[in-house]
Amino acid sequence: MDSKIGRVALGIVAVAAAVVLLVVLSSSDDDSGKGSDAGAGSAGAASKPAKPATPTIVVRGGKPVGGVKELDFEAGDTVRFAVRSDASEELHVHGYDIERELPAGRKVVVQFPADIEGIFEAELHPSDTQIAELRIEP
Amino acid sequence: MTLLPYAHALVARQDLPIPAWLFAWGASIVLIASFFALSVAWREPRFEDDRWRPYGARVSRALLGAPLQVLCGAIGVFLLGLTVYAGLKGTTAPDRNFAITFVFVTAWLGFPVLSVLLGDVFRPFNPWRAIGRAAGGVFRAAAGQEPRHLPYPERLGRWPAAAGLVAFVWLEIVYGPSGGIAVALSPDDAAVATLVYSVYTLAMMGLFGVERWCERGEVFSVYFGMFGSLGAFAAREGRFGMRKPLSAAGRWAVVPASAAVVIASLGTTVFDGAQEGGLEGPMESVGEWLVDVGLSQIAAARIADTAFILLCIGAIALVYELGVRGMASVRGAPPLNRLRSAFAHTLIPIALAYLVAHYFSLFVFQEQAQFTYLLSDPLGDGADLFGTAGSGIDFRLLSANTIWYVQVAALVVGHVTGLVLAHDRATALWGDYRQAARSQYWMLAVMVAFTCLGLYLLSVANS
Repeated sequence: MDSKIGRVALGIVAVAAAVVLLVVLSSSDDDSGKGSDAGAGSAGAASKPAKPATPTIVVRGGKPVGGVKELDFEAGDTVRFAVRSDASEELHVHGYDIERELPAGRKVVVQFPADIEGIFEAELHPSDTQIAELRIEP
Repeated sequence: MTLLPYAHALVARQDLPIPAWLFAWGASIVLIASFFALSVAWREPRFEDDRWRPYGARVSRALLGAPLQVLCGAIGVFLLGLTVYAGLKGTTAPDRNFAITFVFVTAWLGFPVLSVLLGDVFRPFNPWRAIGRAAGGVFRAAAGQEPRHLPYPERLGRWPAAAGLVAFVWLEIVYGPSGGIAVALSPDDAAVATLVYSVYTLAMMGLFGVERWCERGEVFSVYFGMFGSLGAFAAREGRFGMRKPLSAAGRWAVVPASAAVVIASLGTTVFDGAQEGGLEGPMESVGEWLVDVGLSQIAAARIADTAFILLCIGAIALVYELGVRGMASVRGAPPLNRLRSAFAHTLIPIALAYLVAHYFSLFVFQEQAQFTYLLSDPLGDGADLFGTAGSGIDFRLLSANTIWYVQVAALVVGHVTGLVLAHDRATALWGDYRQAARSQYWMLAVMVAFTCLGLYLLSVANS
């Protein structure tokens, strides 16, 4: 009989521990969530607030200047970025299967609805280099 | 969909990391479920009995009779041939060649799930078994006697299968991608590997006998059969029947080195998950260091990946070993060796959960390719056999939320199933219920560690 009580007590302790864990983890999540939002807003020039500057990826010598650019969008919004390459290339966005000619030295704006969630690579052909990573969050 | 002439990896859409709130919920549910399991635990084993109910003779004849078995074998051999042919003669783009998706997605990820649901379905389709049995039949007809085989060294157990499993995954995710230089295993490499494996397998079947090698050494039979042992359907002594789900897993693991197979499965999946997140940094630093030492980019990436895949398997083995040692310290425990194999099967549900969590979305997306353009245009040369070459993958099919929920649900269900099996086995091994329950604190710790690791990997993947 008292082993049963012991087990019930154990169960209650476990639930309490789990609730505490949940609260701790989800509150830390809120903080980090806000932090990263702010970071993305300032660094990546997010898409939302009243037509900000379109992020531009400059490709020089077949490589993106400043490394692979991470571009965050929300599902339902519009993906919008620009690419300027010093050599003639072709841009390919995976998953969405969007292709654009990139004439040498010209800035090309790429725009399409963000209707698939997930992480997608944008790369150049024929050089096969990744220039951007699109993250479409729900 | 336009035909892209460039080589791509299979994964055009990667999973977003699970959000922190879902990670917290998942981990909480795991902990609650674990302690709940401790408090409602049963005292007599429930999954140890060998009961098995055969269906009527007609069902068995239809399913296990010669016509269907020969047909399945022929289909298996045809698909093996098509894989090799497409690999050698088809396009070098991995995503446009039948061979890569068929082997690494359709078969490798499809059979584990099918085996749990329907029983060991790979067995009739196994092309090497079909060829081996046909060869045995020819021998019998020609020589008028049974082919003679070497006795299989029992101590070797399933070590060949465990090693083969690691080699297969190594080929897929270490040799193939090689640090972002090549995008995936090239179809012709896959074809050559298939041919080498075929020669090796047929030779071993000749040496030790077809069924014996399928039971011990043939990687795919052992691996898919492992998952099949969780399910309810099975053939036994020429009859098809049903048993209590999970009740055959313990007997599957009796063969020596079965634990090595489960651990290899877990460890390689952990590596695949960790290289997208948790281990990305360390792997890159080791790779860079090897380049500084004077190795080429490709060699450095391969060596670093190989070291880390072995590390992951070693870490999983170590955690399991600690759990076993812990259980051995409980009064009335069987010897270490016995404990090690006695709890191996309790990790099979967790291995399955890892598989589902990591590859569910890839499977759903890539199977659309398998049954559209890869079916109509297996070589990627512009053919359109069934008029589906123009269709492609609809990446809208799964929302990020659906993928996350499936991932977390798989891990939680796998965790609970593992706990059930472990508790059940403990009640069978320890006559005294109290000691059995005490021993299970150790297995509980092992499983919480594995499941939380799985959740953690999902939460940092691609972040």
